[in-house]
Amino acid sequence: MSERYSRQTLFSPIGEEGQKKISSKHVLLIGAGALGSANAEFLTRAGIGKLTIVDRDYVEESNLQRQQLYTEKDVLEKLPKAEAAKRHCQDINGEVEVEAIIMDGTALSLEPLFAGVSLVIDATDNFETRMVINDLSQKHRIPWIYGACVGSVGMSFTIIPGVTPCLNCLLRSIPIQGMTCDTGGIIFPAVQMVVAHQAADALKILVEDYDAVRPGFSTFDLWRNQYQTMKVGRAKKSDCLSCGEAPTYPFLTLENATKTTVLCGRDTVQVRPPAPRKLQLEKLGSDLGGSGFTVKSNPFLLSVEKDGERMVIFSDGRALIHGTKDMVHAKVLYQRILG
Amino acid sequence: MVNVLFFAHLKDVVGKEEVSVEGNEWNVARLKEKIAADYGLEGLESVMTAVNEEFADDETILSEGDTIAFIPPVSGG
Repeated sequence: MSERYSRQTLFSPIGEEGQKKISSKHVLLIGAGALGSANAEFLTRAGIGKLTIVDRDYVEESNLQRQQLYTEKDVLEKLPKAEAAKRHCQDINGEVEVEAIIMDGTALSLEPLFAGVSLVIDATDNFETRMVINDLSQKHRIPWIYGACVGSVGMSFTIIPGVTPCLNCLLRSIPIQGMTCDTGGIIFPAVQMVVAHQAADALKILVEDYDAVRPGFSTFDLWRNQYQTMKVGRAKKSDCLSCGEAPTYPFLTLENATKTTVLCGRDTVQVRPPAPRKLQLEKLGSDLGGSGFTVKSNPFLLSVEKDGERMVIFSDGRALIHGTKDMVHAKVLYQRILG
Repeated sequence: MVNVLFFAHLKDVVGKEEVSVEGNEWNVARLKEKIAADYGLEGLESVMTAVNEEFADDETILSEGDTIAFIPPVSGG
């Protein structure tokens, strides 16, 4: 395997020294959808020391057009994305330690994962989680790389605590979303373009070539042929509650209630309990089977169907309610089954 | 006059990529209001603004000949 990284080390800004650094570092990748699977493959091929992949979802047929790690077999098995990504990454590069964590990323669940990582890569599909990542990045002084795409549009921005403005400086609040997620679709090249930006800056950070990090906020639209990199030096705000002089990390505050979220680009509502549960999936499955539900299961989740309503339940008490965007309806269905 | 560039779906709603409008010595918030009214654009308050390729907030004052880009943030991934 000595030739394995030869073309990467021949690239002089990386070199043998840089490769040693890459192989000694730990990256936290949050999300294993389109951006997540492409980033996971890149980091694995590049020879990262350790990769932790966090995702809450499982592989579906409609993912295959752009989520490059996954296969039809993963769809048939309804494998959680984090687990499927881990298996494929290990086939690609057995030298890399890959950890899969199947869970919803919240302030509470993500914070412990920031310990000891060199870099966090954003591959989530919502601003709520990104703002949590942004606050945790500031609190723990760990750089993170924002990336997002919808339709033919993509954007990326690298946040280095103490150096660049943070996402909260730029957005000030969580933008209204859903406007384009559900209707805009997504094409593969938009994913790849975002990942190219994220991956290049990830390499720079991993080899500690901070001066090379892209200083602006990049946006492009591959269909309408628009490109812009916006300078952000003046955007840093001293009164920013995430990265300013007196930070309170507002997005780490917990709401003590069951939360429902419409999943971007899907006719699905996620319902999650205020604190993780430990459900006995096997027992729940047999109970529901006895109540007229069609039940399919694997060790990670339970898929139940009745009267055209389909729900997937994870052992931590989280559920995905399919065929609806109505959060109240979703919560009703959830509580009908799980109380 | 200032030049306004519309990114992504804003370009489709407006029907063109670039317009030249009055705006000298206005702030960005006032320009957004005017553009929203003239072109029926909704949600401009959560759109990012660059003035001459530099991040700008609602209070940024515009000058003759500036180029203002409206960039809607996206959340998919």
